[in-house]
Amino acid sequence: MLFEDNSFDINMSMFMPDVKLFNRDSNILEPMEGFLRGNMFKDLYKPYKNLTYFKLNPKTEREKMLYKIMALSFAINDLNLYLDLHPDNKEAFDLFKKYVEEKRTLSKEYDKVYGPLSVTKTTGSKFNWINSPWPWDDFGGGLYV
Amino acid sequence: MFKYKKYTNYPINICKKDLKMAKYLITQFGGSNGELAAALRYFSQKFNMPDDYGKALLNDIATEELSHCEMIATMVHQLTKDASAKEMEEAGLGGYYAEHGKGTYPTDANGVPFTVTYFAVTGDALADILEDMAAEQKARAVYENLIDLTQDEEVLRVLLFLRQREIVHFNRFKELYEYYKKKGLE
Repeated sequence: MLFEDNSFDINMSMFMPDVKLFNRDSNILEPMEGFLRGNMFKDLYKPYKNLTYFKLNPKTEREKMLYKIMALSFAINDLNLYLDLHPDNKEAFDLFKKYVEEKRTLSKEYDKVYGPLSVTKTTGSKFNWINSPWPWDDFGGGLYV
Repeated sequence: MFKYKKYTNYPINICKKDLKMAKYLITQFGGSNGELAAALRYFSQKFNMPDDYGKALLNDIATEELSHCEMIATMVHQLTKDASAKEMEEAGLGGYYAEHGKGTYPTDANGVPFTVTYFAVTGDALADILEDMAAEQKARAVYENLIDLTQDEEVLRVLLFLRQREIVHFNRFKELYEYYKKKGLE
């Protein structure tokens, strides 16, 4: 969490992305940074008062993996909106394709271990798409524990 | 065609019951500047966009907004799920409880149910996009009001995320508006 005074940051372990910065001069942030901010674009980012954004605090391997998938999914969506108006921007499109590929690989792994994130990825002997947790479920603070 | 992914747009893990916050927050689901109005507004307007830029942008933002409806409803659900009828009543949600129990129904912060009259479809691309720009700014302002009303960092983090989405969407709509203006649309 990044309040400027960092007053209640004590119990938040850092969740640092292990994805390398793609291009330091770029206006486009890397997926985990953009995801945490809710905004992939440096020049569009405007915090409210002194409130910036929070770090995530995954408690399990499952949660950590899911957050990476969610971060890639977020990055893909925000680049998608940009590309809608700038389809000829090579940097954005190359990143878009890169993240789609990374998400595909990671999702495949996740689906296999923890169950499908999309209904069409349901495999095996049982239709486990219906299994909890659903995204709105609350399991006492750790949604995907 | 839509495909469902079994995760929210941003993680939501609220463990602390807060009925007052739930009462305020639900306006971003069913209020005039909320996510449901946004989703339906762009979804309905997209059919009359004059070119591929407008069609793509309204289509894709509408889709994202639908996932934001799910986020707000998830927050309201998690904030209220352990509450008793009496606690609901004490928080000013007695009427809500009478109508909807612990269900999640799209209303504003004063209990006024959602209505499609919150948005317009004029058939005029520039007029519609100007409304979209205003809608994003109003939604951002409401998120800021809501941020002022909470201390719970699990609520705050989601509101800060969603507020940024309004800023990004506003800027995309603005770009589209300026592009159509330059193209000579009136």
